[in-house]
Amino acid sequence: MTVHLAPTIEDLSEIAEQVWSSYLDPEGEAPLFPVGPPDPDAVVHGDVCASVSISGAWHGHIVVSCSAVAARYAAAALLQMEVGEVMPDDITDALGELANVVGGNVKSTLPSVCTMSLPHVVVGSGVTNGWPLTVPVCELVANWRDELVVLRVLRSKSDLAGTTDQ
Amino acid sequence: MRLILRRIVGQLGFDAVEAEDGQAALDLLRSSEEVPDLALIDWNMPRMNGLELVGAIRADSHLRHMTLVMVTTEGEQSQIVRALAAGAHEYVIKPFTAGAMVEKLALLGLVPSGVQA
Repeated sequence: MTVHLAPTIEDLSEIAEQVWSSYLDPEGEAPLFPVGPPDPDAVVHGDVCASVSISGAWHGHIVVSCSAVAARYAAAALLQMEVGEVMPDDITDALGELANVVGGNVKSTLPSVCTMSLPHVVVGSGVTNGWPLTVPVCELVANWRDELVVLRVLRSKSDLAGTTDQ
Repeated sequence: MRLILRRIVGQLGFDAVEAEDGQAALDLLRSSEEVPDLALIDWNMPRMNGLELVGAIRADSHLRHMTLVMVTTEGEQSQIVRALAAGAHEYVIKPFTAGAMVEKLALLGLVPSGVQA
């Protein structure tokens, strides 16, 4: 039996805290607050959904999803602009970069050797789960500026055959 | 990320130019009359990734003396070793603060120690 390490909710929370304190809330004025156990309905819906895919010794996806309002706040913070100036392309760029940074840090908790894809961003009301052949490994549901933000690590079902996660 | 980096180095007195991927960066460098002092290079880029770009710059007699800093989420030791072996001078792992970036540039002698962005 193969034993593979997997990222934990603690890993994901620590990564999120670092990302927020570095890019989205450097002044500590609007921290990210975890809001308790994941809500299965909440984690599959969002106005903006950015993801990166991992392949190699571990297969899956790291997904950042949030409301349109949160995405606009994130783009403004990341790109150092006023919220009212944010354009659709800014949201795509910013959320893609967030997924890239979160994903890259999650990847560092995975077994070697893995490679990470470029970010993929979907914008639209009620974006649904685009990864049906996966199972959640860990999920961080959080509140940021009174908006829902969800970070998820999904693992390929086919990857789980004959393995045990720790 | 390019905007964040541009703001940091701009505050340090650098004139920055951006490229959207590795191939665009290489084309831009090869068409420039003046070789930049520094390149901040992401690993995860379309068309030509950061590692390939570092190799291409090091293999180019016109560009090979540039200071190269990888700015990436790739934090695994093996990846850092690969980047440094390919010719990167330094490695900054995202997420980073402006202070951390300035410290790296100070270590490389590109800005005086103690300068803040």
